[in-house]
Amino acid sequence: MKVEWRTVLGASLFLGATALVYGAYKNHPVEASGVTMLAFGFFAYGLLFGYLLLVYLRRDRIPRPEDRFDATSADGEGEVGYFPNASIWPAAMGLGMIIGVVGFIYGLWFTIIGGVLFFGAVFGWMTEAEAATEVPLTEDEEDTATAAGHPGHIDAHPEHID
Amino acid sequence: MVRLRWQCLLCGSVRAVETHLLGKTNFGSPGGVTTQDHYVRQLWHITYVFAVPIGLIVLGGIVWCMIRYRVRPGHDRTPSQFQYHIPIEATYTIVPLVIVAIVFGYMYNAENHVDAIAKNPAVAITVEGFQWGWRFTYPNGHEEVGTVANELDINSNDNLPVLFMPAGETVQLHLVSDDVIHTFYVPEFLFQRDLIPGINNVVDFNVIKPGLYSGQCNNICGVYHAYMRFLVQVMPVAEYNAWYAQQPAGSITTAGVPAQS
Amino acid sequence: MTLIQDRPEEHLVHEPVLMEIVPGPRPRGLVKYITSTDHKQIGLNYLVTSFIGFLFAGLLAEGIRTQLIVPNNHFVTESVYNQLFTMHGTIMLFVFLGPFAFAGLGNYLIPLMIGAPDMAFPRFNNLSYWLYLGGFLVMSCGFLTNNGAANFGWFGYAPLTEAIHSPGPGADMWIIGVALTGFSGIFTAVNIITTIFTLRAPGMVMFRMPVFVWNQLVTMFLLLLAFPVLTAAFALLWIDRHLDGHFYDPTHGGQPILWQNLFWFFGHPEVYILALPYFGIVTEVLATMSKKPVFGYKGMIGATLSIGALSMGVWAHHMYTTGAVLLPFFAALSLLIAVPTGIKFFNWIGTMWRGTITLNTAFLFCCGFLVMFLFGGITGIILAQPVLDFQLHNTYFIVAHFHYVMFGGSAFAGLGGIYYWYPKMTGRMMDERLGKLSFLVLLIGFNLCFFPQHDLGLRGMPRRIETYNAGMGWNFLNMISSIGAYIAGIGVLLTVINLFYSYRRGQIAGDNPWDGQTLEWACSSPPPDHNFEALPPIRSERPVWDANHPDQLTKVGH
Repeated sequence: MKVEWRTVLGASLFLGATALVYGAYKNHPVEASGVTMLAFGFFAYGLLFGYLLLVYLRRDRIPRPEDRFDATSADGEGEVGYFPNASIWPAAMGLGMIIGVVGFIYGLWFTIIGGVLFFGAVFGWMTEAEAATEVPLTEDEEDTATAAGHPGHIDAHPEHID
Repeated sequence: MVRLRWQCLLCGSVRAVETHLLGKTNFGSPGGVTTQDHYVRQLWHITYVFAVPIGLIVLGGIVWCMIRYRVRPGHDRTPSQFQYHIPIEATYTIVPLVIVAIVFGYMYNAENHVDAIAKNPAVAITVEGFQWGWRFTYPNGHEEVGTVANELDINSNDNLPVLFMPAGETVQLHLVSDDVIHTFYVPEFLFQRDLIPGINNVVDFNVIKPGLYSGQCNNICGVYHAYMRFLVQVMPVAEYNAWYAQQPAGSITTAGVPAQS
Repeated sequence: MTLIQDRPEEHLVHEPVLMEIVPGPRPRGLVKYITSTDHKQIGLNYLVTSFIGFLFAGLLAEGIRTQLIVPNNHFVTESVYNQLFTMHGTIMLFVFLGPFAFAGLGNYLIPLMIGAPDMAFPRFNNLSYWLYLGGFLVMSCGFLTNNGAANFGWFGYAPLTEAIHSPGPGADMWIIGVALTGFSGIFTAVNIITTIFTLRAPGMVMFRMPVFVWNQLVTMFLLLLAFPVLTAAFALLWIDRHLDGHFYDPTHGGQPILWQNLFWFFGHPEVYILALPYFGIVTEVLATMSKKPVFGYKGMIGATLSIGALSMGVWAHHMYTTGAVLLPFFAALSLLIAVPTGIKFFNWIGTMWRGTITLNTAFLFCCGFLVMFLFGGITGIILAQPVLDFQLHNTYFIVAHFHYVMFGGSAFAGLGGIYYWYPKMTGRMMDERLGKLSFLVLLIGFNLCFFPQHDLGLRGMPRRIETYNAGMGWNFLNMISSIGAYIAGIGVLLTVINLFYSYRRGQIAGDNPWDGQTLEWACSSPPPDHNFEALPPIRSERPVWDANHPDQLTKVGH
């Protein structure tokens, strides 16, 4: 995480320095919105920097495989994460949000409909994982699904073409 | 010693290029009518002096690579895989920094001159912009007004409001907007300034060359933005004084509307 | 399923098993486009939608140029003309250039390039797409309203945008549409940054990521800072328009200049958001087509970080003529940005230098980028100086400048990216002859359209005017410019034809048709679900090159 927090720290410090210079240099009366936005950026990136630094100090004393120059795939063994394959809830939530904000123009009843859809989608999204069961895929299932899911007719084992 | 001579040589050649080569071309840009013009032109020349060689070098590099290193049949080799060269990289970091500093120096100087506001201008005129027309108010209350309602069509210069100004004297304009943001722009003066409601911008002009100049609103201000034009009539001082003496205090001249007698 | 040839078997280690939590078959058909959380599918959704936006906004542009081809033209009314240029700008920037790069190519390629199975938040990714599409549709539906779409320029200066001066729902739909695309962008930024920070493959340290990924990362940082400011500006504008607020209303103590400061604090990082990912595309294409590593990799990254940082401090150079900004501060920082951009240019030349260059369509488009962005950058240096900006602000010089950097620069690089990655995404090569023809026509058309506009600006022609006086000396240049626009349109059309033609008839591409260097070329074309069956060892910034050219390993440790 070292490079990560250093990058974010750099961004934060730059914004802070710019806020100071902009605020102090020949700026009479002080142009308030610019100084505020720069200072806000300093604090916002500072927040992210603080969190990354905390993670680094607590967890990354032993570098992660992706931070080690000599790591191999074997070092990355184990569960990578939860990657749901398909879900209707993001589309539902998006529809709810869009209808909701269009309601700001055309009437509050639109916003209510959108709001109901939105919160329904939130509920569905959050409970999606609970409703499912762990099913690791077999090689065959992966092959079939992959071969079927692509545009055109692509041989699953193509010749290596340069 | 050597460094000083080198700098003198650079300055001398810049000035030589400026006067002999660039002094002759504007690339279509108008100008040469105000006292500020000199600073604008100088900045253009400084920019050309640096931008043209650098642009040619970079462009040359690109074209050279495209032509010289094209893969030819039978020559499909894997090229040398060099990844860095610290001296070259340092050079093209530092040299542009120096150039930028020089340009900034000239720019800072020019800006101080162009933005300067005189304490005692010869004339102070209020320029009022509104949707969609102009009103120029003189010290004695006389107004020159023009709106798009009276304009014939875009091709005609009749019925446009006229801003009368004396030549060779410092004219101060107070820029005021009645509704939305407009911009007072006279291309020949190489200058523009916004009319922002709530902010009173003040600008100074000293127009050397008498003549009739075309002006335009330069900030989208609604449907008839394109028609919000005006004219600037710059007259020799005597002529201006004669004209001004003829305008009764508080009178209003509306372009395109005959005067009520 | 996907092996890299000639690689010793003992280096092959299978990916850790991914637990599929959601049961049921993979989505097929139309449902796939709606519910898939696969970053590749979502990336394709964005690419197609943004390209449609490009074509639509391009049509609006042809309308603008048709109106301006002769003076005193009556092709469209004043009101419609104002809508044309407003929506052209809005759609090009918010619907095409931005999302194409960071949401389209970014979503598709970033996980592939860093060896990740997907983005960090796949469902969130899907949500981002729907908000984006919704935003595009809402803002465009303004055209269907009585008063028409937004008509106050894409930067919507107050008080022109106040309810009294811009009544009607068109403006509100513009605000909501842009805000929706803004939220989409913010969510995508969160997703991409998290993915880059947490999902890299073993051995893929930050300083081995492709330059494209670094550029996307910096772009996302800019996005995180900029778009919330825009949202805040919109919120204040909404309160002014509908809830009797007076934030920007000078008649009740508000400040029009506040809108400008807020908008441009967003607006300047926004134009770098629209440029940096395209710099990344160019870097990748140039390196691959020259068969060389990126020259000055660390310098490139440093330059990108500098550009990103500096871009957050230069917003008021869009406001020089207001008389309300601290000119020397912004002039100095704006001139400074030229330095890291120059470094990137020299590094690109260094990448091509002494390479073995294949002059295919992707490379040609990126060379077009180099030349035209160079020119646009130089005119940018001119405009960075307040005194010169006083002459040129809001004239066609500015229009020429930003079209050189956005169209001649970013869009050309984007088209190069399409030609470069189309084989990876579809498994088929695009037609080279059609591609080169498209490049040539587009190059000629673009330059014919926008180069004369520099002179128009020098001669004082303002922008955003629906027509002009025949006696100003602008007639001939406007006509040339419009003819160029039509030619450029044909050039774009040729690429569109190529996209469709190659989908069915293109030559089969295989895993790595270009001898590409980065990880996306290590899997099949198109990549399988969750991307990688197995990864090559990652020991440099060019893992696939190292695996395929073991005699020319990339040097590390410098």
